Amino acid sequence: MWPLIDFHKKNVLTGLMFLVFLSSLLYIDWGPELIHAGGGTSLWQMVKGMFTPDLSGDILLLALVASWQTLVYAVAGMTLAIIFAFGFGTLASGVLAQGSLGRSGLKTFFRGVLGFMRAIHELVWAWLFVAAFGLTPFAAVFAIAIPYGGILGRIFADMLSDVPPQPIRALQAAGASRLQLLIYGYLPLAAADMTSYTMYRFECAIRSSAIMSFVGLGGLGYQIDLSLHDLKYSEVWTFLYFLIGLVIVVDLWSQVIRKRLVA
Amino acid sequence: MSLRLSLLIALVLIMASWAHIFFVDQASLSELFSEENRQHGLQFIRQLIGLEDEHPAFLEGQSWKKALTLTFETLVMSIMAIGFATTAMLVTVVPAARNVAQGSLTLVRRWYNWLIFCFFRLCYIFSRAVPELIWAMMIIFIFNPGLLPGAIALALHNFGILGKLCAEVIEDLDLRPIRNLASSGASKAQIFIYGVIPEVLPKFITYILYRWEVIIRTTIVVGFVGAGGLGMEFKLSMSWFHYTEIALYLLCYVLLVFFVDLLSEGIRRAVKS
Repeated sequence: MWPLIDFHKKNVLTGLMFLVFLSSLLYIDWGPELIHAGGGTSLWQMVKGMFTPDLSGDILLLALVASWQTLVYAVAGMTLAIIFAFGFGTLASGVLAQGSLGRSGLKTFFRGVLGFMRAIHELVWAWLFVAAFGLTPFAAVFAIAIPYGGILGRIFADMLSDVPPQPIRALQAAGASRLQLLIYGYLPLAAADMTSYTMYRFECAIRSSAIMSFVGLGGLGYQIDLSLHDLKYSEVWTFLYFLIGLVIVVDLWSQVIRKRLVA
Repeated sequence: MSLRLSLLIALVLIMASWAHIFFVDQASLSELFSEENRQHGLQFIRQLIGLEDEHPAFLEGQSWKKALTLTFETLVMSIMAIGFATTAMLVTVVPAARNVAQGSLTLVRRWYNWLIFCFFRLCYIFSRAVPELIWAMMIIFIFNPGLLPGAIALALHNFGILGKLCAEVIEDLDLRPIRNLASSGASKAQIFIYGVIPEVLPKFITYILYRWEVIIRTTIVVGFVGAGGLGMEFKLSMSWFHYTEIALYLLCYVLLVFFVDLLSEGIRRAVKS
Protein backbone atom coordinates (compact mmCIF):
# COMPACT_ATOMS: atom_id res chain seq x y z
CA MET A 1 0.00 0.00 0.00
CA TRP A 2 1.42 3.33 -1.04
CA PRO A 3 1.52 5.95 1.65
CA LEU A 4 -0.59 8.98 0.79
CA ILE A 5 1.29 12.23 0.51
CA ASP A 6 -0.22 14.95 2.67
CA PHE A 7 -2.04 17.59 0.72
CA HIS A 8 0.03 20.54 1.83
CA LYS A 9 -0.42 23.82 0.02
CA LYS A 10 3.09 23.26 -1.29
CA ASN A 11 2.22 19.97 -2.96
CA VAL A 12 -0.97 21.37 -4.49
CA LEU A 13 1.01 24.28 -5.95
CA THR A 14 3.65 21.95 -7.31
CA GLY A 15 0.98 19.88 -9.00
CA LEU A 16 -0.63 23.00 -10.39
CA MET A 17 2.63 24.22 -11.88
CA PHE A 18 3.16 20.82 -13.46
CA LEU A 19 -0.30 21.01 -15.03
CA VAL A 20 0.42 24.48 -16.40
CA PHE A 21 3.57 23.12 -18.03
CA LEU A 22 1.67 20.19 -19.55
CA SER A 23 -1.04 22.46 -20.95
CA SER A 24 1.62 24.73 -22.47
CA LEU A 25 2.74 21.76 -24.54
CA LEU A 26 -0.70 21.61 -26.16
CA TYR A 27 -0.04 25.01 -27.70
CA ILE A 28 2.31 23.48 -30.26
CA ASP A 29 1.23 21.47 -33.28
CA TRP A 30 3.35 18.39 -32.89
CA GLY A 31 4.04 17.23 -36.41
CA PRO A 32 6.77 16.66 -38.96
CA GLU A 33 6.65 20.30 -40.13
CA LEU A 34 8.31 21.33 -36.86
CA ILE A 35 11.65 20.29 -38.28
CA HIS A 36 13.36 21.74 -41.37
CA ALA A 37 13.63 19.64 -44.48
CA GLY A 38 17.39 19.55 -43.96
CA GLY A 39 17.19 19.62 -40.17
CA GLY A 40 18.39 16.07 -39.68
CA THR A 41 21.54 16.59 -41.73
CA SER A 42 22.30 19.90 -39.99
CA LEU A 43 21.99 18.19 -36.63
CA TRP A 44 24.32 15.41 -37.76
CA GLN A 45 26.89 17.90 -39.06
CA MET A 46 26.70 19.89 -35.83
CA VAL A 47 27.34 16.79 -33.75
CA LYS A 48 30.20 15.85 -36.06
CA GLY A 49 31.67 19.35 -35.71
CA MET A 50 31.54 18.99 -31.95
CA PHE A 51 34.12 16.22 -32.10
CA THR A 52 36.17 17.67 -34.96
CA PRO A 53 36.66 21.37 -34.15
CA ASP A 54 38.75 23.32 -36.66
CA LEU A 55 42.16 23.70 -35.03
CA SER A 56 44.07 25.38 -37.88
CA GLY A 57 46.36 28.28 -36.96
CA ASP A 58 44.26 31.01 -38.57
CA ILE A 59 41.10 30.02 -36.76
CA LEU A 60 42.85 29.66 -33.41
CA LEU A 61 44.38 33.13 -33.76
CA LEU A 62 41.00 34.56 -34.76
CA ALA A 63 39.37 32.85 -31.79
CA LEU A 64 42.02 34.24 -29.44
CA VAL A 65 41.49 37.81 -30.67
CA ALA A 66 37.72 37.42 -30.48
CA SER A 67 37.97 36.03 -26.93
CA TRP A 68 39.99 39.06 -25.87
CA GLN A 69 37.42 41.40 -27.37
CA THR A 70 34.62 39.59 -25.60
CA LEU A 71 36.55 39.84 -22.33
CA VAL A 72 37.19 43.56 -22.86
CA TYR A 73 33.50 44.45 -23.20
CA ALA A 74 32.59 42.25 -20.25
CA VAL A 75 35.22 43.82 -17.97
CA ALA A 76 34.46 47.38 -19.04
CA GLY A 77 30.72 46.80 -18.65
CA MET A 78 31.20 45.28 -15.22
CA THR A 79 33.32 48.21 -13.99
CA LEU A 80 30.50 50.62 -14.77
CA ALA A 81 27.91 48.18 -13.42
CA ILE A 82 29.73 47.98 -10.08
CA ILE A 83 29.81 51.77 -9.85
CA PHE A 84 26.08 52.04 -10.66
CA ALA A 85 25.23 49.18 -8.31
CA PHE A 86 27.22 50.68 -5.51
CA GLY A 87 25.56 54.07 -5.76
CA PHE A 88 22.00 52.92 -6.33
CA GLY A 89 22.32 49.88 -4.09
CA THR A 90 23.42 51.93 -1.10
CA LEU A 91 20.58 54.37 -1.67
CA ALA A 92 18.05 51.58 -2.19
CA SER A 93 19.08 49.80 0.99
CA GLY A 94 17.95 52.85 2.95
CA VAL A 95 20.93 52.78 5.31
CA LEU A 96 21.77 56.40 4.55
CA ALA A 97 18.28 57.78 5.23
CA GLN A 98 17.18 59.57 8.37
CA GLY A 99 13.81 58.61 9.84
CA SER A 100 11.46 55.85 8.78
CA LEU A 101 9.43 57.91 6.29
CA GLY A 102 12.50 59.11 4.40
CA ARG A 103 13.89 55.60 4.49
CA SER A 104 10.88 53.89 2.97
CA GLY A 105 10.48 56.64 0.36
CA LEU A 106 14.11 56.37 -0.70
CA LYS A 107 13.92 52.58 -0.72
CA THR A 108 10.81 52.41 -2.89
CA PHE A 109 12.10 54.94 -5.40
CA PHE A 110 15.55 53.45 -5.92
CA ARG A 111 14.28 49.87 -5.89
CA GLY A 112 11.94 50.92 -8.68
CA VAL A 113 14.84 52.42 -10.64
CA LEU A 114 16.90 49.24 -10.20
CA GLY A 115 13.88 47.14 -11.21
CA PHE A 116 13.51 49.07 -14.43
CA MET A 117 17.23 48.81 -15.21
CA ARG A 118 17.19 45.04 -14.95
CA ALA A 119 13.77 44.43 -16.51
CA ILE A 120 15.13 44.97 -20.02
CA HIS A 121 17.59 42.43 -21.36
CA GLU A 122 21.12 43.63 -22.18
CA LEU A 123 20.75 42.86 -25.86
CA VAL A 124 17.64 45.02 -26.10
CA TRP A 125 19.54 47.86 -24.45
CA ALA A 126 22.36 47.34 -26.95
CA TRP A 127 19.91 47.47 -29.80
CA LEU A 128 18.36 50.68 -28.55
CA PHE A 129 21.78 52.29 -28.08
CA VAL A 130 22.94 51.32 -31.54
CA ALA A 131 19.70 52.60 -33.04
CA ALA A 132 20.08 55.90 -31.19
CA PHE A 133 23.83 56.55 -31.28
CA GLY A 134 25.21 54.33 -34.02
CA LEU A 135 27.76 51.55 -33.79
CA THR A 136 30.24 52.26 -30.98
CA PRO A 137 31.86 49.99 -28.37
CA PHE A 138 30.14 52.11 -25.74
CA ALA A 139 26.82 50.65 -26.87
CA ALA A 140 28.05 47.23 -25.71
CA VAL A 141 29.60 48.60 -22.53
CA PHE A 142 26.51 50.55 -21.47
CA ALA A 143 24.21 47.73 -22.54
CA ILE A 144 26.00 45.42 -20.10
CA ALA A 145 26.40 48.09 -17.43
CA ILE A 146 22.72 49.01 -17.09
CA PRO A 147 21.01 45.65 -16.50
CA TYR A 148 23.96 44.30 -14.53
CA GLY A 149 24.01 47.47 -12.44
CA GLY A 150 20.31 46.83 -11.75
CA ILE A 151 20.81 43.23 -10.66
CA LEU A 152 23.96 43.89 -8.64
CA GLY A 153 22.40 46.99 -7.05
CA ARG A 154 19.35 45.08 -5.90
CA ILE A 155 21.48 42.29 -4.42
CA PHE A 156 23.85 44.81 -2.78
CA ALA A 157 20.84 46.57 -1.25
CA ASP A 158 19.53 43.25 0.12
CA MET A 159 22.93 42.36 1.52
CA LEU A 160 23.34 45.74 3.19
CA SER A 161 19.91 45.51 4.83
CA ASP A 162 20.65 41.97 6.02
CA VAL A 163 23.74 43.05 7.96
CA PRO A 164 23.41 42.02 11.65
CA PRO A 165 22.24 45.03 13.69
CA GLN A 166 24.45 44.68 16.78
CA PRO A 167 27.75 46.03 15.37
CA ILE A 168 25.82 48.88 13.75
CA ARG A 169 24.22 49.79 17.07
CA ALA A 170 27.62 49.74 18.73
CA LEU A 171 28.94 52.21 16.17
CA GLN A 172 25.81 54.34 16.55
CA ALA A 173 26.27 54.44 20.30
CA ALA A 174 29.83 55.62 19.75
CA GLY A 175 28.41 58.56 17.81
CA ALA A 176 29.12 57.58 14.19
CA SER A 177 27.38 59.54 11.44
CA ARG A 178 25.30 57.82 8.72
CA LEU A 179 28.21 57.84 6.28
CA GLN A 180 30.62 56.52 8.90
CA LEU A 181 28.12 53.75 9.69
CA LEU A 182 28.15 52.80 6.02
CA ILE A 183 31.93 52.83 5.64
CA TYR A 184 32.91 51.24 8.94
CA GLY A 185 29.83 49.17 9.70
CA TYR A 186 27.77 48.01 6.73
CA LEU A 187 30.42 47.70 4.00
CA PRO A 188 33.04 45.60 5.84
CA LEU A 189 30.30 43.24 7.02
CA ALA A 190 28.78 42.77 3.58
CA ALA A 191 31.99 42.91 1.53
CA ALA A 192 32.59 39.16 1.26
CA ASP A 193 29.11 38.38 -0.01
CA MET A 194 29.18 41.34 -2.36
CA THR A 195 32.50 40.28 -3.89
CA SER A 196 31.47 36.70 -4.44
CA TYR A 197 28.19 37.72 -6.06
CA THR A 198 30.02 40.21 -8.29
CA MET A 199 32.34 37.44 -9.47
CA TYR A 200 29.35 35.26 -10.33
CA ARG A 201 27.86 38.12 -12.32
CA PHE A 202 31.17 38.65 -14.11
CA GLU A 203 30.86 35.11 -15.43
CA CYS A 204 27.40 35.99 -16.75
CA ALA A 205 28.74 39.24 -18.24
CA ILE A 206 31.15 37.24 -20.39
CA ARG A 207 28.26 35.34 -21.89
CA SER A 208 26.33 38.55 -22.45
CA SER A 209 29.31 40.20 -24.04
CA ALA A 210 29.67 37.25 -26.40
CA ILE A 211 26.19 37.84 -27.78
CA MET A 212 26.68 41.58 -28.26
CA SER A 213 27.79 40.68 -31.78
CA PHE A 214 24.12 40.58 -32.63
CA VAL A 215 24.01 44.32 -32.93
CA GLY A 216 27.17 44.28 -35.05
CA LEU A 217 29.92 44.49 -32.43
CA GLY A 218 32.84 42.08 -32.71
CA GLY A 219 33.75 39.22 -30.43
CA LEU A 220 33.16 35.49 -30.15
CA GLY A 221 29.46 35.68 -30.96
CA TYR A 222 30.20 37.55 -34.18
CA GLN A 223 32.60 34.83 -35.32
CA ILE A 224 30.11 32.12 -34.38
CA ASP A 225 27.44 33.93 -36.36
CA LEU A 226 29.70 34.23 -39.43
CA SER A 227 30.76 30.58 -39.34
CA LEU A 228 27.17 29.42 -38.86
CA HIS A 229 26.10 31.34 -41.95
CA ASP A 230 28.89 29.70 -43.93
CA LEU A 231 27.67 26.36 -42.51
CA LYS A 232 31.19 25.66 -41.18
CA TYR A 233 30.18 23.82 -38.04
CA SER A 234 33.68 22.72 -37.08
CA GLU A 235 34.72 26.41 -36.88
CA VAL A 236 31.61 27.16 -34.82
CA TRP A 237 32.70 24.58 -32.29
CA THR A 238 36.23 25.99 -32.09
CA PHE A 239 34.79 29.37 -31.08
CA LEU A 240 32.30 27.71 -28.74
CA TYR A 241 35.10 25.84 -26.99
CA PHE A 242 36.96 29.13 -26.52
CA LEU A 243 33.83 30.67 -25.01
CA ILE A 244 33.32 27.68 -22.73
CA GLY A 245 36.99 27.84 -21.73
CA LEU A 246 36.72 31.53 -20.90
CA VAL A 247 33.63 30.93 -18.76
CA ILE A 248 35.28 28.02 -16.95
CA VAL A 249 38.42 30.06 -16.19
CA VAL A 250 36.34 32.86 -14.68
CA ASP A 251 34.27 30.30 -12.77
CA LEU A 252 37.41 28.73 -11.29
CA TRP A 253 38.79 32.13 -10.38
CA SER A 254 35.59 33.09 -8.59
CA GLN A 255 35.60 29.76 -6.72
CA VAL A 256 39.14 30.47 -5.50
CA ILE A 257 38.12 33.93 -4.30
CA ARG A 258 34.97 32.60 -2.62
CA LYS A 259 36.97 29.98 -0.72
CA ARG A 260 39.44 32.61 0.47
CA LEU A 261 36.67 34.92 1.59
CA VAL A 262 34.79 32.26 3.50
CA ALA A 263 37.95 30.94 5.19
CA MET B 1 46.29 32.40 -5.05
CA SER B 2 45.89 35.15 -2.52
CA LEU B 3 43.18 37.78 -2.55
CA ARG B 4 45.76 40.48 -3.19
CA LEU B 5 46.86 38.74 -6.38
CA SER B 6 43.23 38.44 -7.48
CA LEU B 7 42.73 42.14 -6.87
CA LEU B 8 45.87 42.92 -8.88
CA ILE B 9 44.69 40.77 -11.79
CA ALA B 10 41.28 42.44 -11.65
CA LEU B 11 42.82 45.92 -11.75
CA VAL B 12 45.12 45.04 -14.65
CA LEU B 13 42.18 43.54 -16.54
CA ILE B 14 40.07 46.65 -15.96
CA MET B 15 42.80 49.02 -17.12
CA ALA B 16 43.70 46.90 -20.14
CA SER B 17 40.04 46.71 -21.16
CA TRP B 18 39.42 50.44 -20.97
CA ALA B 19 42.72 51.07 -22.77
CA HIS B 20 41.59 48.69 -25.49
CA ILE B 21 38.30 50.53 -25.89
CA PHE B 22 39.90 53.97 -26.02
CA PHE B 23 43.05 53.25 -28.02
CA VAL B 24 42.45 50.13 -30.12
CA ASP B 25 38.76 50.61 -30.87
CA GLN B 26 39.34 54.38 -31.04
CA ALA B 27 36.07 55.05 -29.27
CA SER B 28 35.77 58.55 -27.91
CA LEU B 29 33.36 59.77 -25.31
CA SER B 30 33.26 63.30 -26.70
CA GLU B 31 32.06 61.92 -30.01
CA LEU B 32 29.38 59.94 -28.20
CA PHE B 33 27.99 63.05 -26.54
CA SER B 34 28.27 65.25 -29.61
CA GLU B 35 25.49 67.58 -30.76
CA GLU B 36 24.78 65.35 -33.74
CA ASN B 37 24.31 62.27 -31.58
CA ARG B 38 22.09 64.22 -29.21
CA GLN B 39 19.84 65.21 -32.10
CA HIS B 40 19.86 61.64 -33.34
CA GLY B 41 18.97 60.27 -29.91
CA LEU B 42 16.16 62.77 -29.41
CA GLN B 43 14.81 61.98 -32.86
CA PHE B 44 14.86 58.28 -31.97
CA ILE B 45 12.89 58.89 -28.78
CA ARG B 46 10.39 61.11 -30.63
CA GLN B 47 9.86 58.31 -33.13
CA LEU B 48 9.45 55.74 -30.37
CA ILE B 49 6.72 57.68 -28.58
CA GLY B 50 4.97 58.28 -31.87
CA LEU B 51 5.34 62.04 -32.36
CA GLU B 52 6.35 61.54 -35.98
CA ASP B 53 3.78 58.93 -36.85
CA GLU B 54 0.21 59.64 -37.93
CA HIS B 55 -1.07 56.29 -36.69
CA PRO B 56 0.97 55.24 -33.67
CA ALA B 57 0.65 51.50 -33.12
CA PHE B 58 -0.31 51.83 -29.48
CA LEU B 59 -3.46 53.79 -30.36
CA GLU B 60 -4.81 51.07 -32.64
CA GLY B 61 -6.83 48.12 -31.39
CA GLN B 62 -5.51 45.83 -34.08
CA SER B 63 -1.88 46.24 -33.05
CA TRP B 64 -2.75 45.83 -29.38
CA LYS B 65 -4.52 42.58 -30.18
CA LYS B 66 -1.49 41.32 -32.07
CA ALA B 67 0.91 42.45 -29.35
CA LEU B 68 -1.11 40.80 -26.58
CA THR B 69 -1.31 37.52 -28.52
CA LEU B 70 2.46 37.65 -28.93
CA THR B 71 2.87 38.38 -25.24
CA PHE B 72 0.79 35.34 -24.39
CA GLU B 73 2.84 33.20 -26.79
CA THR B 74 6.01 34.46 -25.15
CA LEU B 75 4.64 33.46 -21.76
CA VAL B 76 3.81 29.98 -23.10
CA MET B 77 7.34 29.71 -24.51
CA SER B 78 8.87 30.59 -21.16
CA ILE B 79 6.72 28.01 -19.35
CA MET B 80 7.69 25.35 -21.85
CA ALA B 81 11.36 26.29 -21.50
CA ILE B 82 11.40 26.08 -17.72
CA GLY B 83 9.37 22.87 -17.91
CA PHE B 84 11.86 21.19 -20.26
CA ALA B 85 14.80 22.40 -18.20
CA THR B 86 13.22 21.16 -14.96
CA THR B 87 12.37 17.76 -16.44
CA ALA B 88 15.90 17.26 -17.75
CA MET B 89 17.34 18.48 -14.45
CA LEU B 90 15.17 16.14 -12.34
CA VAL B 91 16.21 13.15 -14.42
CA THR B 92 19.92 13.86 -14.05
CA VAL B 93 20.28 15.64 -10.73
CA VAL B 94 20.44 12.70 -8.32
CA PRO B 95 23.50 10.97 -9.83
CA ALA B 96 25.09 14.42 -10.30
CA ALA B 97 25.27 15.09 -6.56
CA ARG B 98 28.64 14.40 -4.99
CA ASN B 99 27.25 12.66 -1.91
CA VAL B 100 25.29 10.25 -4.11
CA ALA B 101 28.38 9.44 -6.17
CA GLN B 102 30.37 8.86 -3.01
CA GLY B 103 27.59 6.70 -1.62
CA SER B 104 27.22 8.63 1.64
CA LEU B 105 23.58 9.42 0.90
CA THR B 106 22.40 6.16 -0.64
CA LEU B 107 24.79 3.93 1.34
CA VAL B 108 25.57 2.04 -1.87
CA ARG B 109 28.91 2.53 -3.53
CA ARG B 110 29.42 1.46 -7.10
CA TRP B 111 32.45 2.17 -9.25
CA TYR B 112 30.45 3.55 -12.19
CA ASN B 113 28.71 6.16 -10.02
CA TRP B 114 31.72 8.46 -10.36
CA LEU B 115 31.67 8.09 -14.14
CA ILE B 116 28.00 9.08 -14.28
CA PHE B 117 28.67 11.93 -11.88
CA CYS B 118 31.48 13.35 -14.03
CA PHE B 119 29.48 12.92 -17.21
CA PHE B 120 26.43 14.81 -15.94
CA ARG B 121 28.56 17.53 -14.36
CA LEU B 122 30.35 17.98 -17.67
CA CYS B 123 26.99 18.27 -19.42
CA TYR B 124 25.95 20.97 -16.93
CA ILE B 125 29.12 23.01 -17.46
CA PHE B 126 28.84 22.65 -21.19
CA SER B 127 25.20 23.64 -21.48
CA ARG B 128 25.42 26.61 -19.17
CA ALA B 129 28.61 28.03 -20.67
CA VAL B 130 26.88 28.62 -24.01
CA PRO B 131 24.43 31.55 -23.93
CA GLU B 132 20.78 31.03 -24.86
CA LEU B 133 21.09 33.12 -27.99
CA ILE B 134 23.89 31.00 -29.42
CA TRP B 135 21.96 27.82 -28.67
CA ALA B 136 19.01 29.43 -30.48
CA MET B 137 21.17 30.37 -33.47
CA MET B 138 22.20 26.75 -33.84
CA ILE B 139 18.83 25.19 -33.14
CA ILE B 140 17.11 27.36 -35.71
CA PHE B 141 19.11 25.42 -38.32
CA ILE B 142 17.27 22.28 -37.26
CA PHE B 143 13.73 23.43 -36.42
CA ASN B 144 11.36 25.66 -38.32
CA PRO B 145 10.82 29.08 -36.74
CA GLY B 146 8.27 28.92 -33.95
CA LEU B 147 7.92 28.66 -30.21
CA LEU B 148 9.51 25.23 -29.83
CA PRO B 149 13.08 26.07 -30.95
CA GLY B 150 13.08 29.09 -28.64
CA ALA B 151 11.88 27.00 -25.73
CA ILE B 152 14.52 24.35 -26.41
CA ALA B 153 17.32 26.93 -26.63
CA LEU B 154 16.26 28.54 -23.34
CA ALA B 155 15.90 25.12 -21.74
CA LEU B 156 19.37 23.98 -22.84
CA HIS B 157 21.10 26.88 -21.13
CA ASN B 158 18.97 26.79 -17.98
CA PHE B 159 19.28 23.02 -17.68
CA GLY B 160 22.96 23.49 -16.85
CA ILE B 161 22.34 26.22 -14.31
CA LEU B 162 19.41 24.45 -12.60
CA GLY B 163 21.38 21.22 -12.56
CA LYS B 164 24.32 22.83 -10.82
CA LEU B 165 22.18 24.67 -8.27
CA CYS B 166 19.94 21.70 -7.46
CA ALA B 167 22.82 19.21 -7.24
CA GLU B 168 24.29 21.51 -4.59
CA VAL B 169 20.98 21.42 -2.72
CA ILE B 170 21.19 17.62 -2.57
CA GLU B 171 24.83 17.83 -1.50
CA ASP B 172 23.85 20.13 1.38
CA LEU B 173 21.11 17.74 2.59
CA ASP B 174 20.99 17.13 6.32
CA LEU B 175 21.70 13.39 6.60
CA ARG B 176 20.33 12.88 10.11
CA PRO B 177 16.60 12.60 9.27
CA ILE B 178 17.44 10.18 6.47
CA ARG B 179 19.56 7.96 8.73
CA ASN B 180 16.77 8.07 11.26
CA LEU B 181 14.26 6.86 8.69
CA ALA B 182 16.64 4.17 7.47
CA SER B 183 17.32 2.88 10.96
CA SER B 184 13.61 2.68 11.77
CA GLY B 185 13.19 0.40 8.78
CA ALA B 186 11.86 2.66 6.03
CA SER B 187 12.00 1.31 2.50
CA LYS B 188 13.89 3.15 -0.24
CA ALA B 189 10.71 4.70 -1.62
CA GLN B 190 9.69 5.81 1.86
CA ILE B 191 13.09 7.37 2.50
CA PHE B 192 12.76 9.24 -0.76
CA ILE B 193 9.21 10.49 -0.10
CA TYR B 194 9.58 11.37 3.58
CA GLY B 195 13.28 12.10 3.86
CA VAL B 196 14.50 13.64 0.64
CA ILE B 197 11.56 15.30 -1.11
CA PRO B 198 10.27 17.50 1.75
CA GLU B 199 13.79 18.78 2.37
CA VAL B 200 14.68 19.43 -1.24
CA LEU B 201 11.43 20.50 -2.89
CA PRO B 202 11.07 24.06 -1.51
CA LYS B 203 14.63 24.93 -2.52
CA PHE B 204 14.17 23.41 -5.97
CA ILE B 205 11.00 25.45 -6.44
CA THR B 206 12.78 28.63 -5.38
CA TYR B 207 15.52 28.06 -7.94
CA ILE B 208 13.08 27.07 -10.67
CA LEU B 209 11.03 30.22 -10.13
CA TYR B 210 14.15 32.36 -10.06
CA ARG B 211 15.30 30.90 -13.37
CA TRP B 212 11.80 31.42 -14.78
CA GLU B 213 12.16 35.15 -14.06
CA VAL B 214 15.45 35.14 -15.95
CA ILE B 215 13.95 33.14 -18.82
CA ILE B 216 11.09 35.57 -19.34
CA ARG B 217 13.63 38.38 -19.83
CA THR B 218 15.57 36.28 -22.32
CA THR B 219 12.57 35.14 -24.40
CA ILE B 220 12.75 38.38 -26.36
CA VAL B 221 16.36 37.72 -27.24
CA VAL B 222 15.96 34.20 -28.60
CA GLY B 223 13.11 35.62 -30.67
CA PHE B 224 15.63 37.81 -32.50
CA VAL B 225 17.01 34.85 -34.40
CA GLY B 226 13.54 33.66 -35.39
CA ALA B 227 12.50 31.58 -32.42
CA GLY B 228 9.03 33.13 -32.18
CA GLY B 229 7.25 35.31 -29.66
CA LEU B 230 7.63 39.02 -29.03
CA GLY B 231 11.32 39.05 -29.97
CA MET B 232 10.72 37.94 -33.55
CA GLU B 233 8.19 40.70 -34.24
CA PHE B 234 10.37 43.18 -32.36
CA LYS B 235 13.23 42.45 -34.72
CA LEU B 236 10.96 42.66 -37.79
CA SER B 237 9.66 46.06 -36.70
CA MET B 238 13.24 47.13 -36.10
CA SER B 239 14.25 46.25 -39.63
CA TRP B 240 11.19 47.99 -41.09
CA PHE B 241 11.69 51.06 -38.85
CA HIS B 242 8.17 50.80 -37.41
CA TYR B 243 9.17 52.72 -34.32
CA THR B 244 5.80 52.89 -32.60
CA GLU B 245 5.40 49.12 -32.92
CA ILE B 246 8.79 48.72 -31.27
CA ALA B 247 7.60 50.91 -28.40
CA LEU B 248 4.41 48.85 -28.07
CA TYR B 249 6.30 45.54 -27.96
CA LEU B 250 8.77 46.95 -25.46
CA LEU B 251 5.89 48.06 -23.27
CA CYS B 252 4.26 44.60 -23.43
CA TYR B 253 7.64 43.00 -22.68
CA VAL B 254 8.28 45.12 -19.59
CA LEU B 255 4.72 44.51 -18.34
CA LEU B 256 5.16 40.77 -18.86
CA VAL B 257 8.44 40.81 -16.95
CA PHE B 258 6.85 42.65 -14.02
CA PHE B 259 3.84 40.32 -14.08
CA VAL B 260 6.05 37.21 -13.96
CA ASP B 261 8.16 38.73 -11.16
CA LEU B 262 5.03 39.34 -9.09
CA LEU B 263 3.62 35.88 -9.81
CA SER B 264 6.82 34.07 -8.91
CA GLU B 265 7.20 36.16 -5.76
CA GLY B 266 3.64 35.15 -4.81
CA ILE B 267 4.22 31.45 -5.46
CA ARG B 268 7.48 31.54 -3.52
CA ARG B 269 5.73 33.07 -0.54
CA ALA B 270 2.92 30.49 -0.73
CA VAL B 271 5.42 27.63 -0.86
CA LYS B 272 7.32 28.94 2.12
CA SER B 273 4.25 29.28 4.36
